[in-house]
Amino acid sequence: MRGIVKQFPGARALDGVELDVRAGEVHCLLGQNGAGKSTLIKVLAGAHQPDAGEIVVDGEVVTIADPVAGLRLGIATMYQELDVVDGLSVAENIYLGHELSSGGFTRRREATQRTRELMARLGHSSIPPHREVGRLSAAGKQIVSMARALSHDARVIVMDEPSAVLDSEEVANLFRVVRDLTAQGVSVVYISHRLEEIRQIGDRITVLKDGRTVASGLPATTPTPDLIRLMTGRTVEYAIPRRAPVAADAPVVLDVADLALRGAFESVSFSVRAGEVVGLAGLVGSGRSEILETVFGARRATSGTVRVGERRVRTGSVADAVAAGIGLCPEERKSQGLLLDEPVYRNVTLSTFTRTARGGFLDETAEREQARAQVEALEVRPADVTRHARTLSGGNQQKIVLARWLVHGCRVLLLDEPTRGVDVGARAEIYALVAELTAAGTAVVVVSSEIEEVLGLADRVLVVSEGRVVHTGPATDIDEHRVLDLVMEGSAA
Amino acid sequence: MSARLSRRWVAAAGALAAASLLVAGCTSNEPQETDDATTQAAVVPGGENDEKGDTVTIGFSAPAADHGWMGSITKSAQDLAKQYPDIDLKVADGTNDVNLQISQIEQFINDKVDAIVLLPFDGAALTEVAIKAMQAGIVVVNVDREFDDPTAARTTVLGDNYGMGISAGRFICEQLGGKADAKVAEIAGIDSLPLTQDRSQGFADALGECGLKVANRVAADFTVQGGEAAAANLLQAAPKLDAIWNHDDDQGVGILAAIEAAGRDEFFMVGGAGSKNVMEAIKADDTVLKATVIYPSTQAADGIKLARLLVQGKSMSDLVEVEVPRTIQLYAPVVTKENVDQYLPTAFES
Amino acid sequence: MSEHDVAASDAPAPGTVASAPGSQPRRRRSLLHGPAGRNLGLVIALVAICLVGIITAGDRFATLDNLLTILRLASVLGVLSIGMTFVITGGGIDLSVGSVLGLASVWASTIATQTMAEDSHWIVMVLVALGVGVGAGLINGVLVAYGKVVSFIATLAMMVAARGLAEVIANRRTQVVRVRDFLDFFRADPLGVPVLVWIFAVVSVAGWVLLNRTTFGRRTVAVGGNAEAARLAGIKVQRHTMYLFALSGLAAGIAGVMMLGRTTAGSSTNGMLYELDAIAAVVVGGTLLAGGRGSIVGTVLGVLIFTTLTNVFTQNNLSISAQSVFKGAIIVGAVLLQQRLADRSRAGT
Repeated sequence: MRGIVKQFPGARALDGVELDVRAGEVHCLLGQNGAGKSTLIKVLAGAHQPDAGEIVVDGEVVTIADPVAGLRLGIATMYQELDVVDGLSVAENIYLGHELSSGGFTRRREATQRTRELMARLGHSSIPPHREVGRLSAAGKQIVSMARALSHDARVIVMDEPSAVLDSEEVANLFRVVRDLTAQGVSVVYISHRLEEIRQIGDRITVLKDGRTVASGLPATTPTPDLIRLMTGRTVEYAIPRRAPVAADAPVVLDVADLALRGAFESVSFSVRAGEVVGLAGLVGSGRSEILETVFGARRATSGTVRVGERRVRTGSVADAVAAGIGLCPEERKSQGLLLDEPVYRNVTLSTFTRTARGGFLDETAEREQARAQVEALEVRPADVTRHARTLSGGNQQKIVLARWLVHGCRVLLLDEPTRGVDVGARAEIYALVAELTAAGTAVVVVSSEIEEVLGLADRVLVVSEGRVVHTGPATDIDEHRVLDLVMEGSAA
Repeated sequence: MSARLSRRWVAAAGALAAASLLVAGCTSNEPQETDDATTQAAVVPGGENDEKGDTVTIGFSAPAADHGWMGSITKSAQDLAKQYPDIDLKVADGTNDVNLQISQIEQFINDKVDAIVLLPFDGAALTEVAIKAMQAGIVVVNVDREFDDPTAARTTVLGDNYGMGISAGRFICEQLGGKADAKVAEIAGIDSLPLTQDRSQGFADALGECGLKVANRVAADFTVQGGEAAAANLLQAAPKLDAIWNHDDDQGVGILAAIEAAGRDEFFMVGGAGSKNVMEAIKADDTVLKATVIYPSTQAADGIKLARLLVQGKSMSDLVEVEVPRTIQLYAPVVTKENVDQYLPTAFES
Repeated sequence: MSEHDVAASDAPAPGTVASAPGSQPRRRRSLLHGPAGRNLGLVIALVAICLVGIITAGDRFATLDNLLTILRLASVLGVLSIGMTFVITGGGIDLSVGSVLGLASVWASTIATQTMAEDSHWIVMVLVALGVGVGAGLINGVLVAYGKVVSFIATLAMMVAARGLAEVIANRRTQVVRVRDFLDFFRADPLGVPVLVWIFAVVSVAGWVLLNRTTFGRRTVAVGGNAEAARLAGIKVQRHTMYLFALSGLAAGIAGVMMLGRTTAGSSTNGMLYELDAIAAVVVGGTLLAGGRGSIVGTVLGVLIFTTLTNVFTQNNLSISAQSVFKGAIIVGAVLLQQRLADRSRAGT
């Protein structure tokens, strides 16, 4: 593999992108949401056809007419939305579309054997080939996706935000696998928003902005501020704004007592004061998201109480939680947060349209005004409230969900993975927003897989492991290593 | 009228993708004087009443042709209309949806047809619209299923369900010739229908005249599979039988299959309605079927003929009366090997 | 991208002055590419069918009487389809509407013929029919929303059960309604338009307002578009789902009364297979079978397309079998056309 040059003028998505990948390197692709990363990898995979430009593999100009042709050339892609079929087994997923067969019959034993070998190569011999994929964790599915790429004898594997659904331990394992692959001469195109990951794993960096390559072949050691400047075209402090400490006499807004959900977590108690941020740190599956959802009433607590101020929130009733002033930005924005085919303004007013309505009749003018005000305040781009939510990038979609609760005016905001799939620019804006809200007296609870983010945002941190709170304390008294230690101890116990 | 219509169709054909389909459907509307000679044998000639008169436009509507008898209703009406150059028959295709059937009649009223021949899916449900047609000056001829209101039709052509039972019962009495302990079975149609109840009543009354009664009675649903199931059960329940009366020849196909599967032949069977294959079986005399009782599937054709007479102001030539009668109830004759040739031409294909 | 940047840069500062001119062109665009654009295919299809009707049966087709005949035929199915539009927009399906129509008509006519006292008003009969419809709808709704039974199955069960119950109540006989005032009500034609058509019109307008202008409609779209997002935004999804089925049942009850008025008789066979015609009209009308988008105007057009087609075929003496073939082609054709138009309008905005 000597180089890939691609030009793609005219179209909105890509406008003259260049990318060259060497054998055995990890080439990182950076860019904000909407910069054209996803389109570029779809062109590489053969899912999109370029309007112009060329792709060169091993010195020859090639046409990748469809995904099968891409695979034949040795280019395999792991998409952000994991493209595995939940109802099929691990082995069936890996050989999906290129089943080992003779005379129309699948050679199951051979597929099982080869799956076992692939799993061993990826360091996950523990995943049995016959296990139904739907029963695996997100990390497990990712391994399956990767094994599928390898089963094609891929020479280039494109990974679109592979770490987004993983916790730090799993990310470490992912990196180990990536290093093994590159040692075998396989090239990896790695896409991530997490700059620290890129620094750990990447060899070279290409930065995209607005469908153009703004820098290519940068060394992985390029300083962070430089990268951010390249991506955003401006200088953004990739840091979480400092907030004034919460006054000790600030009133308790959210009080959770002895909350439990059978099979997920037990006896969780904490309270959040006005203007305070409480972070929940823990691995995926530790119960941290479940705690948020149970506080919100989206899951029916087995026992325990949730109070907002003096008001006790009815168990298992989202409507009552919302009425009490709790808002949740859910983990899965698209499937839990948005009406993708409805205009932005209706998404923003989804919790409040009854409030503006008169006698059951909607006041859409008022809704649009409210939405427009929030869209401008949060700098949602494009600033068109009649656009369908589907057409917006991840960061802007997250802002819409946030805008909903701002319009609602909630006293407690629960944020589940607020910056997943969100680019650096929008991320900083979201952090700033949290700071603004707390300054105005909102109580915030944050869950994130990025421990640094939790520690940076929160005043106090609860470390969750195996459905139990193993540590509670000020965020300043603890660091990332200590959190990981606590998590390990918790799961060992 | 017809020629103009078909010219329009040529124009319309260009606009429609399914042109061939539609034109094929349309041709049935055109006069076919040429093959009069071949089909006329089926109909008893009506003397000078058959002479060509003013053109009569008749709208015809009947339920969906979901079994043989009902299919024959529409077909025999169409065949009859073809024989009269002065009849312009508009057939609204069969439907079991009263809402749609009402709409069909409304369209006939809008079109200002001269007469409407209507076999309603549900007599009561179509009464209102029939009255509307009568009020619009259209001659309405009601066929088989009676309206709710006598003013809704000028004349009504009815089969004789009670008479069917009588005919079947008397024939069985004759055949069994005073055998006092004879076992007679009855396979009815849909039990809750009034027509089924009438048929059974007539059958029981006629059997009573010779001292017999129905030993076993089952009900099917006018379908082949229903007949098969009912008969199989009946034959299990009655190890020895002398005679069976089956209300309906369509379900009779299934009944014969069950009898053959059981290998039974110690009894004889009388059918009902009068389908062609039953008559052929009677003629061949190689099954247990020895006779059938006719429930005429040509009654809609009679309705067409009467509608034509009414519109043209003619009377029924063999009656003294100046006007066509209010009600005409048809007879339910028994068809046996001896007289089958006489009825075969009017039998329906099931 | 550049287009949006422009939009973002000259987005007016918050204030009343700037927002008015900004919304003006947007509204015009949405008229062309929005609902009107989606309904364009339906209007074209309806016009084409009418043209064929005029060409083939000119003087008989293009008359006021014939128009009213088409509308009378459309009205019962139309009311059913409006109810169905809500259920489908809300992400469900209701297979029971035809049977519930039959049950409501039989129940009401039995009341009228057997138990109703001489002096009680015919409105009692109407209320019974509506009550039966809402009751059946509520059972569907409770099963789907709280019992977590897939709506296809729950309403399939209701379809079978309601038909059976109607047969039991009617004893398979046709119950003739002889309540004079009731019949006179349906025989009337205020302003030259039959009462049936008035009811269809009122239900359509009410349905349109309910779906497009009220919080109920917004909830319906939200629940059908993404039930989980709606729930997490504080909408009572289960309760709303139940309401949707009750609404569909109410529509079936109204249709049952209309059927009684039209036929003067209640029969357990009333409304047989109407559920399929209603679903076809709704889907042809542009309502997404998956939920989240519904169009009352589209549904009304869909119903009119099918009934006008029936009328044209009857005018020309053609069989219902040929018509069914054509109907199938229209369903596929209309849906394909709409997808094209929808894609184009999406690309245009």
